[in-house]
Order: sequence, then C-alpha cells, then structure tokens
Amino acid sequence: MEIVIQILVTGLTMGSMYALAAVGLSLIYGTLGMFNMAHGMFMTLGAYAVFSLASSVGIPLALAIPAAMVAGAIVGILTHLLIVRFMLNSREFETNILVATAGLAILLEDLVLKFYGGYPYPQPVRIEGSFFLGGVSITYQAAVIMGVALACIGAVAWLLLKTKFGRAIRATAMNRDAARLMGVRTNTIYLQVMALAGALAGVAGLMISTLATLSPQMGGDPLLKAFVICVVAGLGNVWGAGVCAFGLALIEAAIGFYFGVRFGFPTMLMLVILVLIWRPLGLFGKEKVVRL
Amino acid sequence: MTTLRQHLLIGLAVIAAFAALPLVITERYLLGEVIIFFIWAMVAMNWNVLMGHAGVFSLAQMLFVAVGAYGMAMGVTFTGMSVWAAIPVAALATAVLALVVGMACLRLTGAYVALLTYAIAEMIHVLIITDTACFTLVANNCQQLFGGATGFSRFDDFGFRPLLKANWILGNYYIVLSAFAITVMIVVVVIHGRLGLAFRAIRDNVGYASSRGIDRKKYQIAAFVITAFLTGLVGGVYAAHFRFAGPSLFEFSTLMFVLAMVVVGGLGSTWGPLIGTGSIMIVVELSKEMGDARNLVLGLALVVFVVFMPKGLARAGRTIANRLLRRNRPEEAAKPH
Repeated sequence: MEIVIQILVTGLTMGSMYALAAVGLSLIYGTLGMFNMAHGMFMTLGAYAVFSLASSVGIPLALAIPAAMVAGAIVGILTHLLIVRFMLNSREFETNILVATAGLAILLEDLVLKFYGGYPYPQPVRIEGSFFLGGVSITYQAAVIMGVALACIGAVAWLLLKTKFGRAIRATAMNRDAARLMGVRTNTIYLQVMALAGALAGVAGLMISTLATLSPQMGGDPLLKAFVICVVAGLGNVWGAGVCAFGLALIEAAIGFYFGVRFGFPTMLMLVILVLIWRPLGLFGKEKVVRL
Repeated sequence: MTTLRQHLLIGLAVIAAFAALPLVITERYLLGEVIIFFIWAMVAMNWNVLMGHAGVFSLAQMLFVAVGAYGMAMGVTFTGMSVWAAIPVAALATAVLALVVGMACLRLTGAYVALLTYAIAEMIHVLIITDTACFTLVANNCQQLFGGATGFSRFDDFGFRPLLKANWILGNYYIVLSAFAITVMIVVVVIHGRLGLAFRAIRDNVGYASSRGIDRKKYQIAAFVITAFLTGLVGGVYAAHFRFAGPSLFEFSTLMFVLAMVVVGGLGSTWGPLIGTGSIMIVVELSKEMGDARNLVLGLALVVFVVFMPKGLARAGRTIANRLLRRNRPEEAAKPH
C-alpha cells in the first residue's frame, strides 16, 4: 500500500509538470500548427528569471509563480514577433518552423550558458519540509507543484471554455480562414496563444527547477516527454495532452520503481510506439478530412 | 545530355579535384579538416535525400551515424574483426535498424515522424550513457557493452600508421575520399533517377502520387533504409578514422550542426549539402577564434536561413547565376550574326 501511494505521489508530481509543458505545446500546435522545439528553453528561461529575481531581491513563492509566467510569456511573445510571424504563410511551414525553433533553442541555450555559466544552481524559491500521508513522507514542494499545476490547468480550461478569448482560440484552431471571416483577428490570437503557452512553460520550468537544479539543459528532458505526450494524445488535442501527461507519468513512476529509473522513459516510449501503430493519430486524435 | 549524366560529371569533377588536393595541401591539420568535411558532407547529403527529396523529416540521422560508429567499434573491440570487415557489417546493422524504426515511424507523416525519430534517438542515448554494468574488462578497466558514458576509443584504425609512417593521414584521406565518392555517386543516381522522381512526387502531392501507383510507405521506407545504410557507412569510417565512438555523436548540438549544413546548403538540391557543409565548417572554425560561439552561430544560421532563405545557398547561387545570364542574353541577341 505504501509503495502504491509512493508511486502515485511521484507520478502525480511528475505528471503535473509534464501536463504544464504538454498543454502549452499542444495549444501552440493546435492553433498555429507548429512544433515548438524551443519550448524547453521557455521553461529554462522561466526558471532562470525567478532565480535571478530571487537571488537579487529575494521574492517569496507566491510572487515567483507570476514572475515565471511573465518571463515565459515575454519569451513566447518575442519568439512570435521575431520569428514565427514571418513564416506563418510560407510553404512547408510545419518542417521549416521546426528547424527555426530548434535553432532558436540552441541559440538561447548557449546564451544562458554564457550568461549564467553551467553551474547547477539550486532554485532559491522552494519550500522545505514534508508531511506524512498513509505512512509515506510527501514533501511540501510536491504538494505545491500539484496544486499550482491544477490551478494553472484549471485556469486554462476556464479561459478556453468560458471566455470569448477562448472561443476565438478554439475557432482559429478549428479553421483559420473561417475564424478570420467571422471577424477573429487570427494574428492577435497567435500572439496570445504564444504568450499563454510561454507562461505555462515558465511555471513548468520553475516547478522543475525546485525539484532538481538549474542548468542550461534542464528543459531538454521535459520537452522530450511533453512531445511524446502530445503525440500520444493526438497533436493539438489539449485535453488529451493533460490526461496523457498524468497517465504516462504514473506509468513511468511505476516502471522506474520496479525496474530502475533508467528504464522509465524507454518503456514509456515503447508504449507510445505501440499506441501509434494501433492508432496513428493518437489516443484522442480525430481523423481530419484533408483535401489533397 | 541528361541531367543525370550532367550531375554525374560534376560529381566526378568534384571527386577528381579532391583526389588531387593532397598535391597542393600537405599540412596534416588541413588534410584532417578536409577528412572531417567528407564525413559531415556524406551525412548531410544523405539527410538531404531523405528530407529534401523524399520528404521524410527524420531526426534520427545522427543515431544512424552513431550505430555505424558503435557497430564498428564494438565489432573490432569485442569480436576482433578487422576494420575492413567491421565497417560494412556496421552499415548493414544500421540499415536493419532503420528498417525497424522506419516501419514503426513511417506509418505517420510530417512532424510526427520528426518527433518520434528524435525521441527514439534520445532514448538510445540515455540508455547508453546511464549503463554502468561492466561487460568485459579491457586493460583492467571496466568496458560496458555499449561503451557507457565514455564510449569506445583506442581500437584499431585503418592500419596506415606502420605502413605509411608520417604520411599515414594520406592513407586515411583516400579511404574516406573513396567512401565520399561512393556516396556522391549513389546520391546523384538516386536523386536524378526514377527513385528520386518517385520521392519528389510523394513529397509534392501524396494523393496524386499514390493515384499513379506510387506507394508512399514503400518508397519512404526505401529512402529511409538506403540513406541509413550510407549514413551507417559514414559512422563506421568516422570511428575508424578517429579511433573513437562515443555519446557525443548523440548530442543535440551535433544534430543541429549537421542540420544547419543541410538547411544552409539548400534542402531538395543536389549539391547544396556540400556547399552547406563547407560554409558551416568555415564559419564554425572562424567562430572558434572569437571564443566558443559555435552553438550561437549555428542557431543564428538556422533561424536566419529558414526565415529568409528557405531554399538555401544552392538556390541563391542559381538565382544569381540566372540573373547574370539573363542580363547577358539581350546583349548577345543584339549582336549581329
């Protein structure tokens, strides 16, 4: 029983972070049709922004979260204004933008490395201590991560489902041209989606850095997992991404516990390949009618 | 003259020029740089066939280099195979792996393929570097089955050191050049032959191509396996030249380094990857002198080229040439006969 609780807690904590990253990634893919290879760097920059603020001014966690959001959102907006905007209508957008964002990722990583150095700093904004639940010790930090992730994803769900802004995003994702004909300013929507996804990535980065340490490469691993989650869920399916994030994280935690941590991700990936052979469009993906 | 024959002639000229190069350049460092150029150019050319012509956006190319290199290193280290036997075996192993990966990944299209191939390469990378169990002992040092975090080194190379003494690099030079020559010829034949036509038909319009009887999966898997075989060959040659095969081959920055060569040179061209490899290598070499700005330069090059020149230097060169020709033509026409 204790083992089950332990696996559940680990899985849900990891799932929270994956979900934050994957929902943003999926949102961008669903709306703009682009794979953001720089999403990992959005996370890294969010974490480093908080690190800079906290080590110079000393801010509490309650302020660190909005700070990470703002940092992530700014990076997202800049990415859109400086790169994505120019390529949206180009031929072969899907592959070209992948290359461009990968280039951006390596560029930003190098800048972070030059500016902060490679030393694995601990994140100063972090809650120490733990409590017991059913005989298992749970750190307050893990509880905070789950709470923050739930709040953020809840907020995104509310935005998408209940507001005019969300309706415009969903309309653009469904059909760019039809949305534009209905008076949706799609270019503004793209900018807003990049900002929103960037903000989510910033929080994800902050949360990841509180568990491990800061490093210029810290975004790589969560990005990979978020990609895999999005593919399993069906690209662009925001709800599916959230569900799959928790599902896959629980499986990874269980495998990691029983067979060793190094097999967690490979097993997850094997499952993904099997899922894709069975359902090439992902678990929640729907067949799209494509005019050839 | 058909375009195939034209390009084959260009290829022969390029190979002949490189074969004559050691007459001009005798410095060992420069010859070593040209060998590195051959190695990356081969990887870039294959990647260009797969991505630019067949439209398969694979990010597993460095995985295939690594499989070739590791295969060759493991063959030599564990079975005592000769280098010459180990390289083709490693290339074949790469092709077999590519067949398996391709059958799984090419059920999907577009960006899905990129993500899945990248994820598979990264998974193998992580499994290799986290492996700490000793497989054998080499000189009382623990040697993991797949080399662990350090990889393989100090195994046999081509064996020119005792044979050619101080000029051993010339032996390596001509061996790598012959691999380069094979790659160039095969790549040109594939691009300008019927296979390349089928690849581009699928890339440009899957629906129309399949209605004319071209099976997307079959041809894309063919492209995947052919280029993987040649890329594995490069890996084997790489390992034999450097006497090293390690996890640095899997690094994201290495992948971006070669991708930048393909993109800067021009996706979907014939000779673009050669131009791209040369330019990127020169730029990276220059950036070394200004401090370690390699990744900065690579990232910038990728972004700038994709945004402003998505067809790369090959297309830019052709446009300039065309413009010059067009400017000359009216003058010629005005000349009295």
